[in-house]
Amino acid sequence: MLEIKCPYCGKRSQNEFSYGGDASVKRPELGKEISDKDWDDFIYNRKNPRGKHSEFWHHIAGCRQWFKVLRSTATHEIFKTAKIDEEL
Amino acid sequence: MTAITPLEFIHKKGIFGDHHKKNEVDLLRFSEVKNLTIIQLVQYKKSKISINDIKIENLEIPIQSSNVKSNKETRILWSAPRTWLILSSKENIIKTIKKNCDEAEFAITDISHSRAIIQIQGNQAKEVLKKGSPINFNEFDVNKCVSTTFHGITIIIDSISSHPETFNLLVLRSFGESFYHHITDAALEFGYVGV
Repeated sequence: MLEIKCPYCGKRSQNEFSYGGDASVKRPELGKEISDKDWDDFIYNRKNPRGKHSEFWHHIAGCRQWFKVLRSTATHEIFKTAKIDEEL
Repeated sequence: MTAITPLEFIHKKGIFGDHHKKNEVDLLRFSEVKNLTIIQLVQYKKSKISINDIKIENLEIPIQSSNVKSNKETRILWSAPRTWLILSSKENIIKTIKKNCDEAEFAITDISHSRAIIQIQGNQAKEVLKKGSPINFNEFDVNKCVSTTFHGITIIIDSISSHPETFNLLVLRSFGESFYHHITDAALEFGYVGV
């Protein structure tokens, strides 16, 4: 069981949270022509790294805020958490 | 016509669980809290009003997470950033809130009928809650609140008193009966009184 530090509530158990995907993926700019490959990369293609990975998490049973987590996919160690508009 | 409370058909009065040779005063007590008005107050993102300038029923609005400001009739619970729950036994509390909080700056919603509230009282109350909730109750003082889970059900725990330990447990109305089963089942080993 992970202990995740919500930027708003503090350290809480993992079962209060829900994983929300890769935080490094950027949505293509609105109204701009983009290739099928760029759209594919945004929707489907992920890197699946072994090591540090920036992720979105949702404190769904707590304050219901989205935030970012920098976590190791190998050891599950959590290095840092940040509010959604902050840099990790 | 009278309103049907969320636990009307499930909450039973009497003594249950392992109560033999125990003094009834020492047993846990479960009751349904009725007739509380619950208002959700949300400050809009664009709002620039300082929350420190606002008081409701002479209570400041808590800014720090998990804090509660209270008097005899009203409790203001920090729920999330820019979001609070106001629980009050005053019937016209919504008028007071609307008077103090400009509706152009705040969303004020009456959610009284969408929550079931169970009050658990007794010196084993924390032991019961520890069975299903991941919160560290050793650091959970009076006038603190927390939104967490109990056996997978999202609940809000509001710590009312420490002598005896008293907690109000708020749960979505539709989860009320299921949660009641979970919490009373967890209390059987201590014995409890339904009041």
